[in-house]
Amino acid sequence: MFDVHEMEVNFGPQHPSTHGVLRVLLKIDGERIIEAKPVIGYLHRGTEKLFEHMAYPQCIPHTDRMDYVASATNNLGFVETVEKLMGVTKQIPRRAQILRVILSELQRISSHLLWLATHAIDIGAMTPFFYCFREREQILDFFEAYCGARLTLNCMRIGGMPEDVPAGWLEDIEAFCDKFDAAVDEYESLLTTNRIWKRRTVGIGVLSPEEAIEWGITGPPLRGSGVEWDLRRAQPYEIYPELDFEVPVGKNGDTYDRYLVRMEEMRQSNRILKQCIPLIRETPAGDLKAKISKVIRPPEGEVYHSIESPKGELGYYIVSDGKTQNAYRCHVRPPSFVNLQALPAMARGHLVSDLVALIGTIDIVLGEVDR
Amino acid sequence: MQVEYPKPSWSQKFLVLDLLEGLKTTFRELFKPKVTVRYPEERNEPTDRFRGMFKFSYDRCIACKLCAVACPIDIIYIDVHDDMIEEGGKKKKVKVLDRYDIDVKRCMFCALCEEACPTKPKSIWLTTKTYELATYDRNDLYFNMQELEYWEDRPRYTGLPEEDEKPRLDETRLLK
Amino acid sequence: MNKALLTYLVWPLVKFLIAFIIVQLIVVAMTWIERRLLGFIQARLGPNRVGPWGLLQGIADPVKLLLKEDILPTSAEKIAYFLGPMLPLIPAFVVFALIPYGPPPAFTVTRVNVGLLLILAITSTAVYGIILGGWASNNKYSLMGGLRSAAQMVSYEVPFGLSIVGVLMITGSLDLVQIVRYQETNAWNFLPQLVACFIFFVSMNAENNRTPFDLPEAESELVAGFHTEYSGMKFAFFMLAEYSMMIVNSCLIVTLFFGGWTFGMFGVGLTTSVLRGMGFFGGILGAAIFFAKVMVFMLVYVWFRATFPRFRFDQLMDLGWKWMIPLALGNIFVTGLFILAGQERLMYWIGLALLGATVFYLGRKPAPRKGIHASRVSEA
Repeated sequence: MFDVHEMEVNFGPQHPSTHGVLRVLLKIDGERIIEAKPVIGYLHRGTEKLFEHMAYPQCIPHTDRMDYVASATNNLGFVETVEKLMGVTKQIPRRAQILRVILSELQRISSHLLWLATHAIDIGAMTPFFYCFREREQILDFFEAYCGARLTLNCMRIGGMPEDVPAGWLEDIEAFCDKFDAAVDEYESLLTTNRIWKRRTVGIGVLSPEEAIEWGITGPPLRGSGVEWDLRRAQPYEIYPELDFEVPVGKNGDTYDRYLVRMEEMRQSNRILKQCIPLIRETPAGDLKAKISKVIRPPEGEVYHSIESPKGELGYYIVSDGKTQNAYRCHVRPPSFVNLQALPAMARGHLVSDLVALIGTIDIVLGEVDR
Repeated sequence: MQVEYPKPSWSQKFLVLDLLEGLKTTFRELFKPKVTVRYPEERNEPTDRFRGMFKFSYDRCIACKLCAVACPIDIIYIDVHDDMIEEGGKKKKVKVLDRYDIDVKRCMFCALCEEACPTKPKSIWLTTKTYELATYDRNDLYFNMQELEYWEDRPRYTGLPEEDEKPRLDETRLLK
Repeated sequence: MNKALLTYLVWPLVKFLIAFIIVQLIVVAMTWIERRLLGFIQARLGPNRVGPWGLLQGIADPVKLLLKEDILPTSAEKIAYFLGPMLPLIPAFVVFALIPYGPPPAFTVTRVNVGLLLILAITSTAVYGIILGGWASNNKYSLMGGLRSAAQMVSYEVPFGLSIVGVLMITGSLDLVQIVRYQETNAWNFLPQLVACFIFFVSMNAENNRTPFDLPEAESELVAGFHTEYSGMKFAFFMLAEYSMMIVNSCLIVTLFFGGWTFGMFGVGLTTSVLRGMGFFGGILGAAIFFAKVMVFMLVYVWFRATFPRFRFDQLMDLGWKWMIPLALGNIFVTGLFILAGQERLMYWIGLALLGATVFYLGRKPAPRKGIHASRVSEA
């Protein structure tokens, strides 16, 4: 009668810690995971197909909705790809470039804050969630002041930026930057040395550098495994070559290392912001758009361009037939989707509680996974 | 750069200082100011660029349809007919706007329509600092030309209606 | 009326009812206090809508739960499903008859000379309801929650009991009143028995399924654990049992380690004789001191909940069996050595030194970790 060594559990799509609508088909023996199979597609909206029927500027609000917690970097990836296709990358005014860096670094901080919030609450620490959201709200306020939206920003345009900085904006960001390091210290005082947190994260979901590269993993999970690969350094775009920042890498490739890497990345992003503000003050106000025609019709060709989004390498592959105002084909390489592939390998042999930590540590956004 | 791992000394481990450190943080936080905004009584004032409800100006609109073209999800419906008017004894052809509807329930507030508008000042804009757009009937979120211009006069949501006085489409819409 | 009937049935029942009502009022208040305090710790306000400062939240919640639909899953095991929430309530309520709230005899319901053992025996039956409820729901998450709960509660009974042994060795009695009387003439037991106090506190968190040991209902893993399928009043019963047990355990730690109803050490301060000298008012004062101490521990529960992440299941077992039990056994051994050597006072100094070292370390500013803070070091 009791031949039940294995039990199948549907982990999601309606589950408090699957970060949206991820479904994991679990085969478990007691609490130990024998097999974890992610089932995706519950949030599929056909974004790539939509892009084929829209003029390029109209695609930008749709890119917001892929990684909806980091829409600025999604915008950046798309507009840079189209600019590369048009061959106008060099003509982007410096002020616009700095502004793009400021927005994407703010977005990186806010995305990492959301990651920390949900990761901590998955592992059971509920308070960092609220502290992170307190700081994240301030960043969303900056976005609101700059472009009028808090989450789905639509804040970049092909060839430049839509608007100049509002009055007092840079001063507010400076004030935020000065306080932000202390805020990260506060989160760390709750988690980094905490023995329960360390027990829950050290040695969980270990990815060796070779494995990580084979899976195609990018972003903080890759750097947590000790591979120093950050597209801001490896394939620099915008003004990143001028900026002074470190690429933090881990050693053991476990959840704790990925945690430390992301915490340090927040500090480094803050450091970049501090450098950018004097730089943008030096540039003339209002010089925000390259001189390109209003109707965007790139020449025939295809291009792949990728940027470092908070979650990893976000790439766009666009094919243009040179005749129409919309892409012939647009493919997105979403970091969450690629990183999620490693979940079955990481989860095997761990306990159900660790699965929750692992879903948190690869930092997925289902809008991006399913597109 | 290699991240550094914390290495607590044995005495710190023995005295469970790592846990007490967290307790210290939460205790300190107990006395810090709270960030909650008690919504119906307190309201956040949106910034000047905040993209909220549409506002339309019939007088400024030149019926060029650029906003409808710019809209990524095609929710702006415009009908125009040509009309001849006399101005200073000369006959002149003008475009007359018959229909300017926005299906706000599908809108994603990207403000591309506002950006595309060629008139100065804009004849369609979203910087109205509004965010309370909920209605009881989803069809209430389909706005025609007059409603887009005078939506302040629309009956606003004041509370849960009684069962028998649920707002009906025809009652709540003005100027139909 | 028969005098024996009066002393052994009527008065204890009346006193039990009064104690029961006070405890249930604390439970009701805790639903508000817990959420409010959590809110304040988490930079928000917590419930503040129902009544002034949200004070009526404690009434609004049960009323809401009473009015909710009582769902019975079709595949549930009906009788067990029904019994699940009932069983934990019984031990949680019975135990209140055994706790001395103030100076005896007026402020104790019943005085049993093996009171401590009786309490341990009764409280350990609370786990049946949770296992039964988790299994009867016929839900995989509930089952896992119930099993986790069973293993956890059984494991932590052991260090829970062992940590008390040290106290018994110093005080030489299983009678809770005697234990309190000992503490007012000597120091409160947490000083000589600091390690035992720590173990007791950890185990009592684990017994109550509170953070960081809230695995049976781990929200992010098992949705809601053993009470996933429960709604309405049945769910409220689980909560009622949980909070009652929290109060029981707070009462126990106060009685065993923090001087019960007294407020004084070495015979100085508000000791039993001083309180008795004040007559009935003194008794009330003693009970007030007792409940104030209990409330402190209830707040510490909340404080812990706000601060700590959750253990994993195997780590929980690991902690219980590999750390807590050996530590408790070692504590018994060391205490025995001290008592043999007749150096009981020395234990106070060791306890004080440990506490002092902890406070000293905590007060210090932590040295900045170099690598992590490299970004700031380079700018400075």
